[in-house]
Amino acid sequence: MRTHWKFSDILSDPEIRSRWQRVKKYFFLRESTYDMTNRCNIRCEGCYFYEGDKQFVSDNNDPLAWRKLMIHEKERGITFVVLAGAEPALVPELLKTCYQEIPLGAIASNGFKFIPESVGYRIHISVWGNDQTSHAIRKADRLLEKQIKNYKDDPRAVFVYTFTRGNILEIRDVAPILAENGCRFTFNMFSAPVGYAGELRHTRQTLAQTRDVMEEMLETYPENLLFSHYNIMAHTHEKGLHDLFQCSYPRMNPHEDVGLGKTFRQYRADQTWDRNAACCVPDTDCADCRHYASGSAIVTARLFRHATDPESFKAWLDYVDTYLAVWVMGYEKSRNLSRKFVEPPDRT
Amino acid sequence: MNKVKTIEDVIVNVARIIIDELMFEDVTPETFDPEIDLVDEVGIDSMDLATVALVIQDEYGIRIDEDDYPKLTNIRLIAEYIHNRL
Repeated sequence: MRTHWKFSDILSDPEIRSRWQRVKKYFFLRESTYDMTNRCNIRCEGCYFYEGDKQFVSDNNDPLAWRKLMIHEKERGITFVVLAGAEPALVPELLKTCYQEIPLGAIASNGFKFIPESVGYRIHISVWGNDQTSHAIRKADRLLEKQIKNYKDDPRAVFVYTFTRGNILEIRDVAPILAENGCRFTFNMFSAPVGYAGELRHTRQTLAQTRDVMEEMLETYPENLLFSHYNIMAHTHEKGLHDLFQCSYPRMNPHEDVGLGKTFRQYRADQTWDRNAACCVPDTDCADCRHYASGSAIVTARLFRHATDPESFKAWLDYVDTYLAVWVMGYEKSRNLSRKFVEPPDRT
Repeated sequence: MNKVKTIEDVIVNVARIIIDELMFEDVTPETFDPEIDLVDEVGIDSMDLATVALVIQDEYGIRIDEDDYPKLTNIRLIAEYIHNRL
């Protein structure tokens, strides 16, 4: 069996080369994240925003200040914004302002309140189980129904189902409803906030169970589910993302020369930021981090480590293809190249 | 087998690789300033550097350590890195 592959040999496969050329066009994306407000219209157990200090800063509700910030961000080379915490749908004017300056981005929303169509970002709508669980954790009645009513047939929408320790099998209730309504969805893994010891935290057993159920969903809903076998592998591995891939966000990365360590910032609602806390979901326990958002940066950044053989590279391309379909408006998911569970490469 | 020998030849070849891989249109291998900072002045990022590194590895049959990327900030430094390993 061949042990050493040149990159050009890997690319000699037309299917791989074609996918590589497709995703490579998006290497210009440079991301930062922004808390748009401290307010939210629901309170969820285990919410990252309300676990840490950033909830205590003051909102900046001045559209002009946000426009200036976005102009400054463009000058810094930022081409992709992630607008989050606590609930960005509560400040639509600020979202519009951001969109006018930086037109590529995504919004993390609970989907309870519709975001105007004039904001042309991807919208990620968080789903935490079936209605019963949603009511228990989020204190919201019939939330999924309201989310679908708001975003059915909306090309911006991607529903994000977060697997906790307690809702793994409930995806069998939720996925058919999403599929029947033509909604696209992807998966997230609950990752414990620092100091969290509650019942949502995954165990070795629940990670394995989640892996099986994710694969079942991938087989059952290939048209609606934006995911791949390598996504499943990376996010249900016993090791967290940092252990597997070495997190490149500033919070865990001292290098400021290039990449996320140089450009990424996580702005709080008052537009301040702190390099020591900068990552996609601050206040997460890094050892337990399996967030879809962090994987979208950490796994995709490890091109070099995956360019070792065709199977590893195909798995990585599937992951990047999924990332782009989930996060970038206008990018449509391709058929996955790999149906195998490829082990992540060594860190060395 | 790559027959490039001198550091100046390596510089031009690295410039060519960067232009080809990153699809730059307003510069040639001969006019690409080897001292210009690729990250701060040209605006290329870690993914671009990884792409270029993979092609360089193929062309020169050398291994570039992932941890060395941050040091390879201009064409001359990349060329010297290659030249020292030929």
